[in-house]
Amino acid sequence: MDARPHTKMRCMTAVVETEGLTKFYGKRRGLEDLTFEIQPGEVFGYLGPNGSGKTTTIRLLLDVLRPTRGTARVLGTDPRDAAVRGRIGYLPGELALEGREKASEYLQFLADVRGGVAKGRIEVLADRLEADLSVRMGQLSKGNKQKVGLIQAFMHEPEFLILDEPTSGLDPLVQQEFLAMVREVRTAGRTVLMSSHVLAEVEHVSDRVGIVRSGRLVAVEDVSALREKAVRRVEFHFDAPVPEDAFRDLPGVRDLKVEGASVACTIDGRPDALVKAAARFTVVHMVSAEPDLEEIFLTYYSEEVHHAHVGA
Amino acid sequence: MPTLVRKTLRDYRRVLIGWTIGICAFAGLYTSFFSQMRANPDLYSQAAMNKYPDSVRRLLGGLEHITSGAGFLQAIIYQVFVPLLFIMCAVILGNKAIAAPEESGTLELTLTLPVERKRLVLERFAALALGLLGVAVVSLIVIVGIGSAVDLGVPFDKVLAAHTGLYLLVLIFGTLSLAVGAATGRKGLAMSVAGTYAVAGYVVNALAADVEVMRWLSWLSPFHYYSEGSPLFNGFPVGDHLVLLGASAVLLLTAMLSFDRRDVGV
Repeated sequence: MDARPHTKMRCMTAVVETEGLTKFYGKRRGLEDLTFEIQPGEVFGYLGPNGSGKTTTIRLLLDVLRPTRGTARVLGTDPRDAAVRGRIGYLPGELALEGREKASEYLQFLADVRGGVAKGRIEVLADRLEADLSVRMGQLSKGNKQKVGLIQAFMHEPEFLILDEPTSGLDPLVQQEFLAMVREVRTAGRTVLMSSHVLAEVEHVSDRVGIVRSGRLVAVEDVSALREKAVRRVEFHFDAPVPEDAFRDLPGVRDLKVEGASVACTIDGRPDALVKAAARFTVVHMVSAEPDLEEIFLTYYSEEVHHAHVGA
Repeated sequence: MPTLVRKTLRDYRRVLIGWTIGICAFAGLYTSFFSQMRANPDLYSQAAMNKYPDSVRRLLGGLEHITSGAGFLQAIIYQVFVPLLFIMCAVILGNKAIAAPEESGTLELTLTLPVERKRLVLERFAALALGLLGVAVVSLIVIVGIGSAVDLGVPFDKVLAAHTGLYLLVLIFGTLSLAVGAATGRKGLAMSVAGTYAVAGYVVNALAADVEVMRWLSWLSPFHYYSEGSPLFNGFPVGDHLVLLGASAVLLLTAMLSFDRRDVGV
């Protein structure tokens, strides 16, 4: 028997699949008409300002909320099936931990309900995130609560991680460690949905990003495609004045400004031609600013909308 | 024991210990007063009769038999004060099952565990019932122990019957507050519904003998089924106890079904 068709079918099943997913709180719109998919092995960044519908989406996927209209399937099944939650790790956006129980005891309880986790797994994660689990939960600082939340989301090595604002409250070093953990999950072929209100927090680990505004998904884009489109500001400093002609009309180069021994411009897409042009002179210093992807993303998107409207 | 029941009991521990101490101290202290009463039956009987106006005496369930062991236990322990304390404990615990963690936000993570919502409610109820059973057993031991020290002379099976009724009565109000919390997620509402029903149920039952409309209403009061059979004198009122148990079962079912069909935490 050939097992491949089966494997193939498994790969085809989207981890998240929603159609027209809508949630109203009374008359207030929480989320309207969300149709999107997340594929296995993908890290999906879910972006939007606070109150835009990110948490509503996530709670619908976890069956904490019930949709007003539309459908959602998670790991191929209805979210109402409790068993599917055993394959998900979840970090809530507003994580509430309280009481006199120690963090380690609480984690053990969660692990027990989930049918146990690998021995030593909790300790390894606690070490990586530098979390002190001997503290009573009611006395944990915001950052430490977030660490406990991350540990419980990652500890059972779930197929699908749903992380709502995972980096909030973490100091930069721990954030780096967290991003490394997400990369490992992706390398292992597992799937992640993580929300944030800024792209910068998720762009380095996400394959695709979606932006949600006032309850509507307004754009979904490949991060690598976005980077290709990125406009970045570049400066070269040479050991002697350079002729402006050497840099004029290079593909992708705009806003060129040559002043004596320095050249400043913005480049659109690949910097290849510019670098080759500069290589003919002696470069003493070079500055390349990281592109602000979110700005580009939104500019790009608003142009699309603009064109769409003009077209219609 | 299922993990969730064990964990819920652990969360209840402090409340349970506190209320057990309170209820036992009260019940033990008042049971021990019987020795004084027996030493001066006429004085206490007269005093009890004359001290209160008729209406108040009826609210306290009549004090006619106060100088007998069973009458004393009925009037001092099982009539008002111990049920009142025990019901407060049950309502607080019932509230901690769903509504309180929902309002504080800690329920969300529990809800995203691979546990069905109906089972979550059921296991929270099991912890509530077990916790209250613990309080009931300890307080029974205290009452029976001190009762025999002061020579109450009430047979154990009669005290057990009364105490079983007390437990079933209290379980109703605990389950009611759990059910309102499960249906609405509001702990203030759950607390006030259970509290109002307890006070109204008590008053209606106490006045049922004199006021026609109260007699009909008292069929809706758990206190009617709790006191009607006079278990301290007559032993187990099986029918009444089954009604009390049935009421808790209906409330539990309501809680499970209503919690299963709503949004949580909005």
